[in-house]
Amino acid sequence: MSELNYIGKSPRRKDGPDKVTGRAVYSQDIKLPGTLIGRILRSPHAHARIVRLDLSKALALPGVKAVITVDDTKGIKHGFVETPRYPPDQEVLARGRVVYVGEEIAAVAAIDHLIAQQALELIEIEYEILPAVFDPIEAMKSDAPQIHPSHPKVKDELPYSNIGGRTTAGWGDVETGFAQSDYVREDRFESQLRTHGYLEPHATIAHWENDRLNVWTSSMGTSVKRAKLAKTLDLPFSAVRVHKVYVGGTFGGKIDLYSHEYCAARLSMMTRRPVRIVANREAIFSAYRHGQPLAMEIKTGVKKDGTIVAQQIRVINNSGGYRGSGVVVIFLAWGFTMIPYRIPNLKFEGLSVYTNYPVRAPQRGHGCPQIRFAIESQLDKIAEDLGIDPVSIRLRNAREPWEQLPNGDNVHEAGLIDCIKMAAEKSDFLKKYGKGRKTDGTIRRGIGMGVSGYFGGSLIYPNGSGVIVKMNDDGTPTVLTGGIDVGQGSETIISQIVAEELGVGIDDVKIISSDTDATPQDIGAWISGMTYVTGNAARQAAGNARQKMLDIAALRFNIDVRNLAIKDKVVFNRNDPSQRISYRDIIAYSIATRRGDTIIGEGFWRTMRDEPTHPSLATTKGRWSENYAFSCQVAEVEVDIETGEARLVKALTVHDCGFPINPALVKGQVDGQVSMALGHAFLEEVTTKNGYTLNPTWLDYRMPTIHEMAESDDADVITEQYNVGKPYRTKEVGEGLVSAILAAIGNAICDATGVRLTSTPFTPEKILKGVRKLARESKH
Amino acid sequence: MADRNHNSKSMSRVVAIEVNGEHHEVTVKPRHMLVEVLREKIGLTGTKEGCEQGVCGACTVLLDGRPILACITLAVECDGKKIRTVEGLASGETLSAIQEAFLDQGAMQCGFCTSGMLMSATALLEKNPKPSLAEIKKALEGNLCRCTGYNGIVDAIRQASGEGVDPIFMR
Repeated sequence: MSELNYIGKSPRRKDGPDKVTGRAVYSQDIKLPGTLIGRILRSPHAHARIVRLDLSKALALPGVKAVITVDDTKGIKHGFVETPRYPPDQEVLARGRVVYVGEEIAAVAAIDHLIAQQALELIEIEYEILPAVFDPIEAMKSDAPQIHPSHPKVKDELPYSNIGGRTTAGWGDVETGFAQSDYVREDRFESQLRTHGYLEPHATIAHWENDRLNVWTSSMGTSVKRAKLAKTLDLPFSAVRVHKVYVGGTFGGKIDLYSHEYCAARLSMMTRRPVRIVANREAIFSAYRHGQPLAMEIKTGVKKDGTIVAQQIRVINNSGGYRGSGVVVIFLAWGFTMIPYRIPNLKFEGLSVYTNYPVRAPQRGHGCPQIRFAIESQLDKIAEDLGIDPVSIRLRNAREPWEQLPNGDNVHEAGLIDCIKMAAEKSDFLKKYGKGRKTDGTIRRGIGMGVSGYFGGSLIYPNGSGVIVKMNDDGTPTVLTGGIDVGQGSETIISQIVAEELGVGIDDVKIISSDTDATPQDIGAWISGMTYVTGNAARQAAGNARQKMLDIAALRFNIDVRNLAIKDKVVFNRNDPSQRISYRDIIAYSIATRRGDTIIGEGFWRTMRDEPTHPSLATTKGRWSENYAFSCQVAEVEVDIETGEARLVKALTVHDCGFPINPALVKGQVDGQVSMALGHAFLEEVTTKNGYTLNPTWLDYRMPTIHEMAESDDADVITEQYNVGKPYRTKEVGEGLVSAILAAIGNAICDATGVRLTSTPFTPEKILKGVRKLARESKH
Repeated sequence: MADRNHNSKSMSRVVAIEVNGEHHEVTVKPRHMLVEVLREKIGLTGTKEGCEQGVCGACTVLLDGRPILACITLAVECDGKKIRTVEGLASGETLSAIQEAFLDQGAMQCGFCTSGMLMSATALLEKNPKPSLAEIKKALEGNLCRCTGYNGIVDAIRQASGEGVDPIFMR
């Protein structure tokens, strides 16, 4: 450890000064002369045929520069998933039919907001209203309104309607497993519809100039945005430049191609002027992509000692009007089931169901908080039924280091057992557990535990990241990385790694990021792998530049390069430290004597190099990750049994996130995820009726405020094994930690009150209902 | 229709405001909000628009020292008033104590709430240099942050108020 100077430490954020002074530029801050204002016309109906669409009055309004519908597009579809089994399924504007309230039908560009709004109101549309369906179970019935035909591969096997996709997986034989079990439980769990809650609204400004499209947009990866824009606009990739901007929060909600991004681009191409479209908050709540509610049926068989023998799981999602990430979340629910515990026999089925809701997106954790809530709640119930404590049952089933997972992956230095042990010890878990219910008074305290595992950096376009390190004449590096800083701190992390590998100061590192013309491709901030994948590309690039400088110094001194070392922008002879040459002089020497070669280091990293792509979403076959992170989280809650109100008093997160490049940034991720999970647990739900959103503002959709802040402690179980020779064995820490803590909160409420809640959020109504039911039962 | 056209051409008036110590005279319509004037006319884009509904607090600026929501404050109401925005917190390259504390405590991730948070925190500390935890929470209850869970923000204010909270980041 002692030889590390910049990684494993917590220098302040590279983007910090810009963000505290108002200089950081976000999409909404881009100003271009002559900019037109774009607006989107959205469907007022959940399901309707468009019978007539007349733009003439809108086009005639002075100040209106262009109006587009699907007829002005190339008709090229896109999708969150684009595979042979799940080809792109959504057009950028509705064609002939709308399948959810808020679906995009037309877009206008005008000289100001008011005229753009007036133009929308002048577009004449006649609809033929069609029957709609909102509940996935209803939508699966054979007589349900058909939104899209069930997937052809599913149709032959299952009688259900509106099935967008299916995941089936398993091993062993669950029937035999249940027969061999001493105890079997079946439970059903549900989660609610939540939104991401990024503070920065979606904003895009597009400018078509000199046959090239320039785009500034709120995203989670500019490589992906460029690919989807180029494809749907039918432009070469090289004709589309997605510029760097800071992004004001994403949490999964800014990955996909959004219709407004396409429309801004297309309108600019038609008008030859910059076009800006900013989504208002009401539209984001009502028509943009939220996360996914899941219904989860779980049957688990265990031995008397709590050893899991068999598990059968069925997950049904509500994917909205197109496939979106619906077919991914049902795959991921399998994955997040598989990671933490040994399950000798598993049968898993996930169904993605179309409904007349807006399309769904990934949301921090992407299925993990839902499925871990279900499994961990049931496991606590099993433990209670068998008289085992929550710590012991988890230790009994937790995976050991270096275990092989059923999908062929290895968990490597999995620290799960250490996490559970440390969490139990630090929280004094067993001493506090079981006390709440026995106390008198109306305020009951409870403690609960959950565990989780998360993958890091799977293979999906563009699969890997490249980084370039250019040495400047003064001996400082300029780093070109496609890695986008959405708040997680990637610019800081990448700078630390380059500083470490090159022996320069953090402040010496100039970073240019996430500009598709200037920077290499990057996996983006959405597949839980940027520190690992882009970080290792940065390590290689800096190492490559370092090697080139060492080679030049070796030439200059005429000694074996292996005798040379670096420190503080100087190369020196290990055997004779007085023989030294600064980076500046190396570069000058190189220019003077070696054809003027400049020094540029290149690095590229791709996880699971020999794997062609991500695993099958339908069968789960194929490698998923080489980087599994683990956590055990403990929640302490207070429940008022008179009002049913509960709050998270204290959270403890013990995690194995691999080597923490910047521990203070890791802590920021932990605290933010605990906060998001308590919103999930207690506050947040997008409520709807007939497809209309009833609470499209932050006044009515309650996100945690500073009053809900919980005490959040964290610790890692990173042992020397990570520090010796592999400081870049970094793992996921940005989204998996919303999961076990959610389950822990549910378990803590049960510890406090005896009320086992099977659906989120844990509202006062549900808790009170449970408390009263228990009171009635105890009287009989 | 006709009314709206009339509205979009409705009489403008000149508003004189002092922003971060600089005098500006701007022509505004009666419907223009302060946030539009700051961002679009004066060019200070550090003040953010998160909801345009007066709920998220990202647009918080100080009006004669008091935190207000610029997205629901009419520009014409600000005639003759002094406004401070995030761009006015540092003196030259020297950051204010609360700006430094935000960097030290990880009080900011995506940064979109940061300007508003800093303005609410600045107003609090100028009025009450040693706020209690309850007073900190009260002062910042109108500012949403989705990234940090607020822990770092509270610690930053406590650091800036001299509570002896150690930085978690290194300078």
